Amino acid sequence: MTKSLPQGRQLPLGVTERRLAKFPVGHIAIYLIVMLAIAYIIVRGASEQGYHWQWYRVPRYLFIYKDGVFSLGLLLQGLEITLYITLVSMVLTYVIGLATALLRLSDSIIGRASAKVYLEIARNTPLIVQLFFIYFVIAPILGIDRLFAAILSLSLFEGAYASEIYRSGIVSIHKGQWEACHSLGLTRFDSYRKVILPQAIRRVLPPLTSQTISLIKDSSLVSVIAVYEMTMQANAIVAETFLSFEVYFTIAAIYLLLTISISQFVALLERKFKVYN
Amino acid sequence: MAEKEFGDYIINVKNICKTFPNGVTALSNFSTNIRRAEVVVVIGPSGSGKSTFLRCLNGLEEIDSGEIIFDGIPLDDNKNNRLHIRREMGMVFQSFNLFPHMTVLQNVMLAQRLVKKNTAAEAKAASINLLDKVGIGDKVNSYPGQLSGGQQQRVAIARALALKPKVMLFDEATSALDPEMIGEVLEVMKTLAREGMTMICVTHELGFAKEVSDWVIFMDEGRIVEGGTADDFFSNPQEKRTQLFLSQIL
Repeated sequence: MTKSLPQGRQLPLGVTERRLAKFPVGHIAIYLIVMLAIAYIIVRGASEQGYHWQWYRVPRYLFIYKDGVFSLGLLLQGLEITLYITLVSMVLTYVIGLATALLRLSDSIIGRASAKVYLEIARNTPLIVQLFFIYFVIAPILGIDRLFAAILSLSLFEGAYASEIYRSGIVSIHKGQWEACHSLGLTRFDSYRKVILPQAIRRVLPPLTSQTISLIKDSSLVSVIAVYEMTMQANAIVAETFLSFEVYFTIAAIYLLLTISISQFVALLERKFKVYN
Repeated sequence: MAEKEFGDYIINVKNICKTFPNGVTALSNFSTNIRRAEVVVVIGPSGSGKSTFLRCLNGLEEIDSGEIIFDGIPLDDNKNNRLHIRREMGMVFQSFNLFPHMTVLQNVMLAQRLVKKNTAAEAKAASINLLDKVGIGDKVNSYPGQLSGGQQQRVAIARALALKPKVMLFDEATSALDPEMIGEVLEVMKTLAREGMTMICVTHELGFAKEVSDWVIFMDEGRIVEGGTADDFFSNPQEKRTQLFLSQIL
């Protein structure tokens, strides 16, 4: 429709955008310009400080090649721990969050009150304080190691936020859905399981994804109780080598890779489940 | 109509009162009895308590005082009684309230699977039968969002019938529909009435009331102003309030 325009006539704005979307040369160019500008600022900033870039020293912290075998460098060993902590905490966060939300919406006064107390404490104190508290006070009582202390703290902290996300999703479901369940004689459990939660969870996928991304980034805080996850490894390497920019940029890129894959995965899920309305 | 045989009373409502937290009194000392196979139409101005009456019958609203007995079982604080009564009463809502994330078939199968614990095959066969009956047999795998209002309401009727209820409650089942779709829903309701289903219908469709109802109740301000057979009620209303209401809407 937009080919062979008379000479000198400009494309309407919308048409230009559509053509770019099809053949995104312009967008790629803009992207490259922005990226180059950022890189320039970083390099300039570093050189103003007299920073001496030594990127060539970084790869050994990612991979080690020795006697014909590859093995993981310190940073990727840390990534393994980070992934482990994140995955387990993520599952626990979802479970704790849902349980707390359901308790807050339950008929039981004790259930509601205890959920509320947990929520307010977990949400209104800094994660780092909770980490120390759980590691130094709770862990010895329960006899758990620092790794599980870290997982427990993260799950309890993020679970509080997740519970509010779930709750907002649940109360946003039209009350007619509950009435339909009641009129069919469904139990409360069945109503939640088959009707309310499947709809609510679809609605809260975007904020729940943000929360999961926060969890990944917050997992770097567990370095304060000396769990050797990625950030802890990075701190250690920096202390030894003074490669602060190189090492921190590297782990930032790895975190970015993780979080972007998660948000892309969820975007895929959302498209897949969007079958109605 | 005159030859229709009624059974014993299936619902006894005695002196129920209901005041909402905002101070509005929806029902005051409301009593009525409903016989098996009877089709009762409840009419009245908005805010007269018609819908509240229906919603109290299956416990969607709590009554403040009085008693409701369904087929010998009191609707009280006992959870099992409440579930039992709800399972024996089907309800159709003004806004359909279908489950949007399930197909038409799944909507109708759900309660059969969860409440009656029927096998998937049994539930599916029964559901397809019901959907055929309401004329949606060709849309079983559609989602509610893909159907017209009239079709959605017919699915909702099939869903309510799935548990083989003893009584069907219709809460302004046609009020949210486009005019050309009201007929198809009323047709399904008339068929049910002819088959001897006990029905309580809150409606503004006076034609429907005249055609199929055995008893008409006119409500205002939470009370029954007047009740009678359709013939008597429409041709010879006794109360001033009824006459006024009818003159306004006829």
